Amino acid sequence: MEKKRVDEHEAVPAALPKVDRFGFVKQEANSPDGFTRSKSASEYESCSFSGDDPLGLFVAYFLKKFRVSDAREERRIRKWRKMIGVGGNDWKHYVRRKPHVVKRRIRKGIPDCLRGLVWQLISGSRDLLLMNPGVYEQLVIYETSASELDIIRDISRTFPSHVFFQQRHGPGQRSLYNVLKAYSVYDRDVGYVQGMGFVAGLLLLYMSEEDAFWLLVALLKGAVHAPMEGLYLVGLPLVQQYLFQLDNLVKEQLPRLGEHFAQEMINPSMYASQWFITVFSYSFPFHLALRIWDVFLFEGVKIVFKVGLALLKYCQDDLVKLPFEKLIHALRNFPEDAMNPDMLLPMAYSIKVSKPLEELKEEYEKQNGKLSERVKEELQPS
Amino acid sequence: MASSGNKSINAKLVLLGDVGAGKSSLVLRFVKGQFVEFQESTIGAAFFSQTVAVNDATVKFEIWDTAGQERYHSLAPMYYRGAAAAIIVYDITNQASFDRAKKWVQELQSQGNPNMVMALAGNKSDLLDSKKVASEEARTYAQENGLFFIETSAKTATNVNDLFYEIATRLPRLQPAQNPSGMVLVDRPADRASSASCCS
Ligand SMILES: Nc1nc2c(ncn2[C@@H]2O[C@H](COP(=O)(O)OP(=O)(O)OP(=O)(O)O)[C@@H](O)[C@H]2O)c(=O)[nH]1
Ligand SMILES: [Mg+2]
Repeated sequence: MEKKRVDEHEAVPAALPKVDRFGFVKQEANSPDGFTRSKSASEYESCSFSGDDPLGLFVAYFLKKFRVSDAREERRIRKWRKMIGVGGNDWKHYVRRKPHVVKRRIRKGIPDCLRGLVWQLISGSRDLLLMNPGVYEQLVIYETSASELDIIRDISRTFPSHVFFQQRHGPGQRSLYNVLKAYSVYDRDVGYVQGMGFVAGLLLLYMSEEDAFWLLVALLKGAVHAPMEGLYLVGLPLVQQYLFQLDNLVKEQLPRLGEHFAQEMINPSMYASQWFITVFSYSFPFHLALRIWDVFLFEGVKIVFKVGLALLKYCQDDLVKLPFEKLIHALRNFPEDAMNPDMLLPMAYSIKVSKPLEELKEEYEKQNGKLSERVKEELQPS
Repeated sequence: MASSGNKSINAKLVLLGDVGAGKSSLVLRFVKGQFVEFQESTIGAAFFSQTVAVNDATVKFEIWDTAGQERYHSLAPMYYRGAAAAIIVYDITNQASFDRAKKWVQELQSQGNPNMVMALAGNKSDLLDSKKVASEEARTYAQENGLFFIETSAKTATNVNDLFYEIATRLPRLQPAQNPSGMVLVDRPADRASSASCCS
């Protein structure tokens, strides 16, 4: 996967905006809730950019500036490299032999310089790419999509504070457009849905557009885990189901908060729909989103519930005191200490959700039908 | 109307309209006095509040800014149900957004609170050169459907405060005190909760 991008780093002009280590322009982000896009992080990755590093050229350039050398980090990266093998050759073997080691290491965070590659390995997208040579190019160049205008309208409104996506018609916006268009052709039932741009954008910071496209396919079509496409299909059937499950999990596991939500008429749709639709890539500090994505790709959507519940649990004592309006605000602006991945994630891992999720899914399907039936119902003209 | 003392009213207001019509920008202008060239698209919905003083009362708007894409339609009812007011936004440079606005009006007329105060806002009035939806057409439509019509620009702030102020003056004053959240979630199925607890 030689990308020969290293030299181009020098081509970046001198007058550059101040950015954080992920490439987000440093200033208050312009999301309506006034989120700060990326906070200074406690985790730090030191990486050497090798030839197969899949980062976009701008991002790579900016990240280089923030590199620090740290002996422990280097050891960690060496371990990871060994586990992966050259170009990912040893990965499958390693996962089969030592799944628990892999899981534990992923939960600690994938080194940033290997993230793009590892994401492709654990999501199954690498296999899809290899099995479908030329398909992506075909979709980008020759096919037209009914969603083209919708996508264009949203392009400059996706991560508007990130240098890679800021430049009008620049490489970031172009590849974002291509990936989304290609997907909307590949899967015409889903097409393009707002929110997919944030997912694709996050992927594009770590891999080429073709790789990002296949990862999107792997996720939505369910290469390894349950397919995500139900999040985006007409009627958003999977969003509705997840919200139902979350609502009940809150009631069961955080009864005090559940009670308070009921009193204040807070519905999970008011704060959690974006959690699911974008897997925390919208309106969350980027360093936290990345750590969640590491686990999400390996373990599946469970982690979204766990992180959500952990956030609520951590803030419960404050939240139960708040009236409706302050509560809504707090649920969309969690305090910085709650968003520290090294605190939040271990807490999330300790929350058990598998069994209740299964039971709640059954219950939901008893009332509303299976997902495929729910989609069919939506598609029927009323 | 009532002349004694200062009344304070909570009013739930929802913004509906096509992708990129400027719903979030209008709210941001009204609530924070800001405008950003590249406003992030709204995923799900966002909540804001702002208070305006009209005559003898203060109206506190509790504003739900929704996502514009058709696909998000299924999330919208929980935001407009029980709303005292709605602003249906279209982009004056985009005919399709006007057609979409009409669909929202129809839906609110059949599904929404019958006393809802509705406003039709033709946004991006600063882009006069690329105007596609004639003011007359929109005004006539609004009149026929009992909506208040105004052309706004979130960018230059033209008519944005007026829009919200006008809605505030039209709110029925004598409505009973609302619950603190101003929310009426007809949708909230109590039976769901009970069935969940009975079976676990
Ligand atoms: N010229 C001009 N541009 C505007 C105006 N209002 C909004 N915009 C721009 O139009 C784009 C979309 O605005 P938003 O406020 O995000 O639109 P929205 O209706 O909230 O869109 P969704 O959240 O995707 O449904 C942004 O890039 C704004 O900068 C305006 O009054 N004039
Ligand atoms: Mg918006």
